[in-house]
Amino acid sequence: MTDAPAPPGRHDPPLPALALAEAGGPVAVAEQPKVTVYPVTFSGQAGEYFRIWIVNTALSVVTLGLYLPWARVRQRQYLYGHTWLDGQNFEYTANPVALLRGYLIVGAFFLAYLITGNLERLSWVAGSIAALFFVLYPWLVMKSLRFLAVSTMYRGLRFRHHGRAGGAYLTYGLANLAAVLTGGLALPWAWFMQRRYQVQNAAYGNARMTFRGDAGGFYVIALTGVALAVGGAVLLAVPLIALMALLGDQADLDLASTLPPAVLLGMGAAYLGFLLLYAVAWQYVRAATLRYVLNHVEVGGVVRTGATFSSARLTWIGVSNAAAQVLTLGLAVPWATIRRARYIAAGVQVRAIASLDDFAASQTPQEGALGEAATELLDINLGF
Amino acid sequence: MTIPPDAAHPPLSGVFFDGRTSRQRAASLALSGDEVRLRAEGGLETHWNVSQLLIDPPVPGVRRVLKFPDGSRFETDDDQTVRGLEARTGRNRGLERVRRLETRWWTALGALGATLVLVGLFVAYGIPALARGAASATPRPVLATFDRESIQFLEDGGYLGPSQLSAARQAQLQAGFRRVTAWAGGGYPYRLLLRDGEPEDAPFELGANAFALPGGTVVMTDQLVALAHSDRELLGVLAHETGHVTHRHGLAGVYQGLGLTLLSVAVTGDIVSAGTFAAAVPAALLRNGYSRAAETQADEGAGQYLMRTYGTTRPLRDILARLEQEDRDADENSVQEGSRTEDLLQTHPGTAQRIRHLREIEARGRPAASSQK
Repeated sequence: MTDAPAPPGRHDPPLPALALAEAGGPVAVAEQPKVTVYPVTFSGQAGEYFRIWIVNTALSVVTLGLYLPWARVRQRQYLYGHTWLDGQNFEYTANPVALLRGYLIVGAFFLAYLITGNLERLSWVAGSIAALFFVLYPWLVMKSLRFLAVSTMYRGLRFRHHGRAGGAYLTYGLANLAAVLTGGLALPWAWFMQRRYQVQNAAYGNARMTFRGDAGGFYVIALTGVALAVGGAVLLAVPLIALMALLGDQADLDLASTLPPAVLLGMGAAYLGFLLLYAVAWQYVRAATLRYVLNHVEVGGVVRTGATFSSARLTWIGVSNAAAQVLTLGLAVPWATIRRARYIAAGVQVRAIASLDDFAASQTPQEGALGEAATELLDINLGF
Repeated sequence: MTIPPDAAHPPLSGVFFDGRTSRQRAASLALSGDEVRLRAEGGLETHWNVSQLLIDPPVPGVRRVLKFPDGSRFETDDDQTVRGLEARTGRNRGLERVRRLETRWWTALGALGATLVLVGLFVAYGIPALARGAASATPRPVLATFDRESIQFLEDGGYLGPSQLSAARQAQLQAGFRRVTAWAGGGYPYRLLLRDGEPEDAPFELGANAFALPGGTVVMTDQLVALAHSDRELLGVLAHETGHVTHRHGLAGVYQGLGLTLLSVAVTGDIVSAGTFAAAVPAALLRNGYSRAAETQADEGAGQYLMRTYGTTRPLRDILARLEQEDRDADENSVQEGSRTEDLLQTHPGTAQRIRHLREIEARGRPAASSQK
C-alpha cells in the first residue's frame, strides 16, 4: 500500500480539534471543542427479514438442527448489516463451522443432562453436568463476549474484548453468589459489575472503552422494576380474590366434582396476569439497563454514546412483542426483532468532539473509537 | 469466460478500507481477464488475481464485501457484478441458493408450510415413536429400579398401607392376576401388590385406584376391590394395567416429556425465558394428549382380554362408570358425556368415550370370538 501524502478532500484529519481535546491547556479552554452528533439508523424490513428467518428456520428443521449455526449467522448478518452509523454499516463475521462445533458440544451435554436427570440410577451424571455448568459459567460468559466482539466489524476494523477469566469469575461468579446470599439485595450491584466488565474490556481496534456508570443507577432500575411488579400484583390480586370469594360461596358444596368453568377462568386469568407482570418487570429492567449503559459509555475519551429512547416505550415494545410471539406461535419473531431494533436505533446517537472523518483517518489509539459504542448497543440488544 | 472483457465492463464503485485503520476511501474496482485492479482515493492502486479474492456470502439488502489477502476490503452495492464473479470462481454456491429462496415470497411461504408440517408431524408421530423406541431400548434392570424406588416412595410417604383383605381373598385375586399376566406375556416380572389406598394420616388419598409401574409391578387398592361387583371387573382393570406395562407407557411418558422440553427450547430459542414459561401450558396439554392415547391403547388390550375370556367388555365398562360416579350402584348407562374443553385438561379420555370404545371392541370382536369357541 502506498503511503500518499495527506490526501485532500473530506478525509482531511482536522488535527487542531483533536489536539485541543487531548492537550487541554489554555487554548482548549478558550475554544470549546465542537461536538458532532451522529445518529444510528436501522434499515431492516420486517417482510424481508421474515423471509430470511423462515427459510433458514425451515432449513434448520429439515437438517435436524445441523444448519442452525448458518441460520443464526445469516440472521445476525442481516441485522448488523442494516445498522448504519455515518454512512457505514456493521458486519457480523462469525464462522458457522466454529459455531457448529460449539452447538454440538453444548447440545450433547444438555441432552445427556435431560436423559440422566430422569433416570434415578444415573442422576449423578445430571448432577455433575449441572455442577460443571455452574463452575464454568463465568468462563463461558467471557468466551462468548470475546467471540461476539471479535466477530463484529465496522469500517473494516474488528472489535475486541480483553476480559480475563479472573474478572469474569469476580463479576459473574462471586457477584451473583453475593446476590443470592443477600436474598437479591446485591443483585443490582452484580448487574453493575457485569456491565462494567463488559464495557471496560471492550475495544474498537485498539481504542478501549470506559464505563462511567455506578451501582446507584442499577439500584434505581431494580427498585422501579420491583415497584412495577408489586403494584401490578396488588392491582391484579384484589379483583381475583374477590371473584374467588364470591364463587367459593356458591360452589363449595361440590368441590370434589369438576371445577366450575368460572373458577377455571379465574385461574387462567391469574396465570396470564402473573405472566404479564413478570414480562413487564423483566422488560422494564432490560430496557432501562440498556438506556443507562448507552448513556454511560465513553470510547477513547473522545466519543460518547447516548440514548434518547424512552424506557417505558421500549418496555411496551418488549411486552407486546412477547405477546405477539406467543399468540402467533413464534411467527411474529422477525417482525418483533425488526420493530425493537428500529426503535432502539432511532433513539441512539454517537457524539464525538471531532468529526468522524478525523477518527477514521487517525492512526492514534483514539482513531476508530466511534463505532465501539454502537456495537455495545448491538451486544446488549442481541446478547441480553 | 462468463465475464466480458474489461472494455465492456464498467468498473465497480464502492468504498475501500485498508483493514488497519477505520478510514473510508471512495474506490473503484475494474476487472480485466483474471485480474482485478483496485483504485482508491488517495492515490492507492493495487491489483489481485480473481482467485485470491474472498467474497462474503450474499445477505439481502446488505452491501457486498470483497476481501483481499492483505486484510483490506472493498464494499459495493453492485450485487449483479459480484454475483458474476461468484459464478466464475465457484464461491458461495450453497448460500447463493439460500438467498434465492429468501428473496421470493412464494418460497418463503413454502418454507413456512414445510416447517409447520414438520413440527406437526414431529409432535403427532415423531415424539411418540422416539419415546416408544427409547422406552423399549431401556434395559430391564433400570425398570426394576424404577418400580422399587416408586413403591418405596409411596409406602414411606404413607400413601399406601397394608391391605385389609383376608388372605383367602388376596390369594384369589393373585390367582386371577396370574391368568391375566400369562395372557399379557412379554416376560416381565409381574407382581400384584394389594394395598390400602386410604391409610390413616395419608397426605393424599389414592382411594379406589389401580396403577402399573414400568417394571411390571401393579398396585390395586382395597377400595377398588370393594367397588367391584365381580372379579371379572377387577381382572378387566388388571388387564388394562398390564397393557401399560407391555407397551412401556410409563417410561414413554417420561421420554415424551423430554421431547416436548427439547421442542419448546427449539421453538423459543431459550432454556429459561418468559417464552418457555408460557410454553409450559401447551406442553402440558400435549402431554395429556399422549397420556390419553396410552389409555386408549391399554383399553384396547383389556377389551381384547375380556372378549377372549368372557365374550363381553361390559365388566370394565361398569367399573369405569362406578369409578367416575363414585357410586357403588352406578353402571355404564349412568355416565354423561363431558365437554370437549374439559377433555383437554384430562390425562384420561372421558369415561363416556372409553365406554363407547369398549362397546366398539365388543361389537367388532363378537363374531370372531364366537367362531373361536
